[in-house]
Amino acid sequence: MRRLSRNKDFILKIEEISHQSIADCYQCGRCTAGCPFAEFMDEPPNRIIRYIQLGLRDDVLKAQSPWFCAACLVCETRCPRGVDIPRIMEAVRTVHLRAKEQIIDIDMIDKELLMDTHPLLLMSALYKYSY
Amino acid sequence: MKVSYYPGCDLYTKARVLNDSIQRSFNAVGFELKEMENWYCCGTTFTLARDNKMSLIAPLRILAKVQKDGGSVLVPCSICYNTLKRSNFIFKNDPETLRLINEHLGESYDGQVKIIHPFEFIRANQNDFKKGVKRNLENLKLGCYYGCYLLRPENEMEFDDPESPTIMEDFVKLMGAQPVSFPLKVECCGSYLIVSSPEAAIETSYRILKNARERGAEAIVTSCPVCHYNLDNFQNRMASSHPEHRPIPVFYFSQIMAMAYDLPVEIWGLEYNKISAVNLLKGHGIL
Repeated sequence: MRRLSRNKDFILKIEEISHQSIADCYQCGRCTAGCPFAEFMDEPPNRIIRYIQLGLRDDVLKAQSPWFCAACLVCETRCPRGVDIPRIMEAVRTVHLRAKEQIIDIDMIDKELLMDTHPLLLMSALYKYSY
Repeated sequence: MKVSYYPGCDLYTKARVLNDSIQRSFNAVGFELKEMENWYCCGTTFTLARDNKMSLIAPLRILAKVQKDGGSVLVPCSICYNTLKRSNFIFKNDPETLRLINEHLGESYDGQVKIIHPFEFIRANQNDFKKGVKRNLENLKLGCYYGCYLLRPENEMEFDDPESPTIMEDFVKLMGAQPVSFPLKVECCGSYLIVSSPEAAIETSYRILKNARERGAEAIVTSCPVCHYNLDNFQNRMASSHPEHRPIPVFYFSQIMAMAYDLPVEIWGLEYNKISAVNLLKGHGIL
């Protein structure tokens, strides 16, 4: 069995960036149930929250899930505890991006899409997923 | 009547058809959209990191201009509308942040301007907008697709019920067409995931179109340039992973207005739609 080491600084960092109280979540799973992108994620949204509650920094930071969150706010609308999950996902992305880890780079984007897409979509993606 | 208007960058580029058709349609019923002078980009999507104040700079500059120029502004682009409204929620409710950004920019914005979406404006002036209807669209069944940016978060947007909104259905009825409500009308199209994870965005967009079709829609109406792009542009790819997919046209709401008001057909912007609506409209005798 894996011994859990609880990284309290990481919990505080996420709470500081998101202004959410991570302990408010009681793990009902409603965010995951309604998330349009949960099936594309390696870890469902409620499990990311659980990892943060437990201070499992490495498990949170290795998950790809935050990069599949489009901040559509369906989970925020439905959360019975008023937890703004997209803000927590953004906080995780922010930790990555401030450590200069990004998932997209303008050179990686499909050239056809790059020429064809709306500038505002491109800017939004670069803004959310690169530093 | 003159109405202050913020087009945003997309309405000058890829969503030009939305700009042209809304200007002409509003004009047709006596509302002149007067573009703000020297407007800036809103900064695109709203940042959710609370310690990032940079993203509030562009919205404050825009809203300070609106304050000097009458105090209200019409914003058709859903992303701009969302970003400006969410930023303004902070300006209204967080005096310390408002002071900080004002001081940084040398502005004296008070947080009190009104940011209005065309659906809200049309609802408030519905008799005027109804009077403009000249062409019969009664057989056209339009799936009303809201997406995210207009609706959520509910307490900041104060737009409509975030789970079962009706403002777009009311608009479609006002234009004389048949609104079709469908469960996924408030589901996300994938937005900017189309850039980073296109397969996820295309799959969610496919589901939305399928759901609308199952409920009887012959075409989709939306007000969001992002939703329009994702739903309209990738139907070939949807068809390759879902062979049963049948193409379904996607309109901006303002294209429907241009039809209903019997404006010249070039204002309808039909060539802009990747999935052609020509056969559908001919079938109903609209074209």
